[in-house]
Amino acid sequence: MIVMAFESLDPRIKRWNLSLQRNEEYQSADLDQLPTYEVFLQMRDGKAYEHAGIVHAATADMAFVFAKEQFSRRYTCTGMWVVLSERVWVTDCMELEENVYDHIVDTSINADGPQEEYEIFHLMKRGKQHKHAGTVGTTGHQQAILQAKTQFDDGTPVLNIWTAKKADISATDAEDQVIWSTLKDKTHREVISYRAGDRLKAFKERQNG
Amino acid sequence: MDRAGGNIALKEFLYKIADDLLILGHRNSEWTGIGPLLEEDIAFSSMAQDKIGQSLALYQLLHELGEEDPDKVAFMRKAGEFRNCQLVELPIAEYEFSLVRHFLFDHSIFLRFQELSNSSYHPLAMVAKKLVGELRYHVLHANTFTKKLGTATEESIRRMQAALDEAIPYSLGIFEPSPYEQELIDMGIFSGERLLCQTWEQEVMNIIRQTSLKMPDIDRDQAKTGGRSGIHTEYLQLLLDEMSEVFKLDPGAEW
Repeated sequence: MIVMAFESLDPRIKRWNLSLQRNEEYQSADLDQLPTYEVFLQMRDGKAYEHAGIVHAATADMAFVFAKEQFSRRYTCTGMWVVLSERVWVTDCMELEENVYDHIVDTSINADGPQEEYEIFHLMKRGKQHKHAGTVGTTGHQQAILQAKTQFDDGTPVLNIWTAKKADISATDAEDQVIWSTLKDKTHREVISYRAGDRLKAFKERQNG
Repeated sequence: MDRAGGNIALKEFLYKIADDLLILGHRNSEWTGIGPLLEEDIAFSSMAQDKIGQSLALYQLLHELGEEDPDKVAFMRKAGEFRNCQLVELPIAEYEFSLVRHFLFDHSIFLRFQELSNSSYHPLAMVAKKLVGELRYHVLHANTFTKKLGTATEESIRRMQAALDEAIPYSLGIFEPSPYEQELIDMGIFSGERLLCQTWEQEVMNIIRQTSLKMPDIDRDQAKTGGRSGIHTEYLQLLLDEMSEVFKLDPGAEW
């Protein structure tokens, strides 16, 4: 076992005289890598939910708590959905101008089973975010896409589709909206608050007389 | 109660809440960059920043009542002039201690602001009403962590329990009554620390009950009091020296 000692440059660590040791043989892949959750935000009431990114978390509750600060720290929103990445079903991804719905054919999969609601998300452009297209009631992810084809495919190329069972999504409700109510006042979080160019220029001018 | 006397009671009340928030906000910000997970580092830092913002809102109310401007009040006082409870000034220690302190304190401040939303002192009621929303998230965060780590593994339960045992006597110091308790109650500004402490105990117990943690006995004689009259641990002055180091280089500087 090799034990390496590091000296921290952080005054907060130096203050407590902590000795930082790292065990190079330390193996903890299971503990270090938490599952990921997909996060969707609604920017305004009535707007479609849009994919914002992912968080690592041990549980859906913790993912929800992390996602709030991760993705709505600066810009206010009205709702948030969080779903375990593994539970999101993904189609093939198309190249430019090709519509993934054109490749969806009814393979007559056994459609028996309980009716459940599925959320459908479309990717319209590479580099953009998946956006909520609507909800379908059906018996599985593949059936959900077939349903979506009849309801949401207007011929505009959709490059990629995600489906998620509504029951798998943790969602904010209307009374949770207050958690964002002070965000618009927090201008100190915006990058513009840190702009120092003008002050630096004024300082240099003063220095040069 | 004459107006001047009422003002003293009100100012004392505002100072202790504002000082709690400033000192805990600064303490929690010490985790920025060294938090246990990237996601948590960001969440905990944001909440630390919120707390400092909340303290600013209260220092502004004090300024309107004739006190010095918020920067001066925050950076130029000595430890003995601070009215925060000792709980908030303790070092961040291991993460579980910071989390447990956040859990215990944030339940109290959430309940306090909920109640103050109906305070007879209108400017305070407005501030409280506004801040209760963001505090709802702080409490959700604290509850989520407490429930998870309070049930996860033998190690997490043991460490959370030790932190809880250590923090409880200090957390009772949050509710140290003010010499003006009765005036505040009579004026309808606040219904008093005793009542707040009872509600707080219930709320904290509601969460602890959902974990494998045991709530330590609430023994009021063991409460770590004194903070509200300026008696502090050795840690507060060290914190203040560090917090005000840059400000004191040039107190008149425009930022």
